[in-house]
Amino acid sequence: MSDQPITDLSEPRLASSWSAATGSWLPAVILLLVTIVLWEAAVRIFAISAFIIPAPSEIAKSLAAQWGTLMQATLVTAGEILFGFLVSVVVGIAIALVIVRFDWLGRALYPLVVLFQNVPKVALAPIFILWFGYGLAPKIGLILVIAFFPVTLSMLAGMQSVDRSLLALMNSVGASPTQILFRIRVPHSLPNLMAGTKIAATLSVIGAIVGEFAGASDGLGYVIQFASTQLDTALVFAALLLVSVLGIAFYYAAEILERIVVPWAPKFSQS
Amino acid sequence: MRIETIRAAGDRPAHIRHDDLISAKGISVVIARQLILQNIDLSVPKGSFVSLIGPSGCGKSTLLKVLAGLVQPTQGSVSIAGLAPVEAARKRMIGLVFQDANLLPWKNAVDNASMLLGIADKSLSRSDLRARGQEMLELVGLGDSAHKRPNELSGGMRQRVAIARALALDPAVLLMDEPFGALDAITRDSMGQSLLEIWQRTGKTIVLVTHSIDEAIHLSRHVHVLGIKPGRITESLDIALPYPRDLSVTEDPEFVRLVVQLRTMLRSSHQPGGAS
Repeated sequence: MSDQPITDLSEPRLASSWSAATGSWLPAVILLLVTIVLWEAAVRIFAISAFIIPAPSEIAKSLAAQWGTLMQATLVTAGEILFGFLVSVVVGIAIALVIVRFDWLGRALYPLVVLFQNVPKVALAPIFILWFGYGLAPKIGLILVIAFFPVTLSMLAGMQSVDRSLLALMNSVGASPTQILFRIRVPHSLPNLMAGTKIAATLSVIGAIVGEFAGASDGLGYVIQFASTQLDTALVFAALLLVSVLGIAFYYAAEILERIVVPWAPKFSQS
Repeated sequence: MRIETIRAAGDRPAHIRHDDLISAKGISVVIARQLILQNIDLSVPKGSFVSLIGPSGCGKSTLLKVLAGLVQPTQGSVSIAGLAPVEAARKRMIGLVFQDANLLPWKNAVDNASMLLGIADKSLSRSDLRARGQEMLELVGLGDSAHKRPNELSGGMRQRVAIARALALDPAVLLMDEPFGALDAITRDSMGQSLLEIWQRTGKTIVLVTHSIDEAIHLSRHVHVLGIKPGRITESLDIALPYPRDLSVTEDPEFVRLVVQLRTMLRSSHQPGGAS
């Protein structure tokens, strides 16, 4: 066997990208399908009441029956998430820039930001309702207080991890603090910032739903709360499903944004 | 020891002393109550190639930072063509190269090469900077990699861009802190050879911090040996091998003799307090 001439000198192929993709997705999809089938079977076999645990088929039926209402609610919630997320990112970046650029202000601000992080922000929801009413504003406020922190923290970490000899190079030619900030620190922080942004995207979904729980007349959070008071558990699950889809959509949107903004950043998937 | 440091400065005949581009007198540096450098006298003639060699912790990098104006000496003074190092740096007279290339990962090679120049001289247009960057990349042998980002370049190529970035300032002196320290032996040799060629083509003064005996002798005209605890110049060695030198110089009997001599000097420099 060993004296056979080697004819194939091409690279040993680990897996094509397509089969690698299906290879990584397939187990999860199979598990999901098996869970759904077992769920359906268990509900039928043990005759579990639909308002305790509805069967997947019941959820699908409810989804179809209430499609119009649910889509309208999804749109409202998606709008809140998007708006709140954008405000969080802008405010988060602004706070990080102020902390880095103005030393004394940073020293005043940073401990307060960390301190504020320990306030249970979900508990702020009723206060925001009291201040801003039942409209969009309290949801944006709640998303902001929940989601700005990972943005600020990740950007700070990125801006402060610039190599000292690079700063020495910049200083040696007389670069101003503002030049160092915008030419070096900010672009250097972008990979970190994008990681923080992905966390903020996930937290924005939570913020919107919590805001709607606390007081709303529309949106998926409102549908969940209303349906549960009606014991329409199938509708609760249908709305939950849509919340999850929204969450995944926002996460991947942030990830696509990351690939556009920081194409040079190391990718975790290339391990 | 004082006698030796004087000898270090006095190696050259007195009549060319005014040609010294860099002259450091009585440099002492104390950091966190530790005496890092003690009473160092160093002169670097214009256009020469000087290496500082010594064991880890001898303060050779700190000495380079003092010359660059990045560390203020506790005592003593440095003059670069009559200017304090910080002023000299502002006038683009100092080009710095560190062990890590420290390129900006979001910029390509040509923009990295012209980055410091763009900060130093705000009057230059984008196309001026590009042209200058390209010219410098060609000088370091990377003319056709101008549009590659650092992550597409090898370690040696990244260090070439770092050298191009320093040269783009058109500095009087190139201060290099173990620039090839992170490279493999083969790349190291070819980088050293390239540096010699760049030195001869541009006529820059070069001060190189290294811990490689071969590198110091292969490249430089003068080698200063630093001892530890505290850091000080214990001995100085003139390398009389003629330029241009290529790698075959390493087989020259004189080269081998110098390696042995420098190794002996380094061994005695390892003794704290300097009983050389």
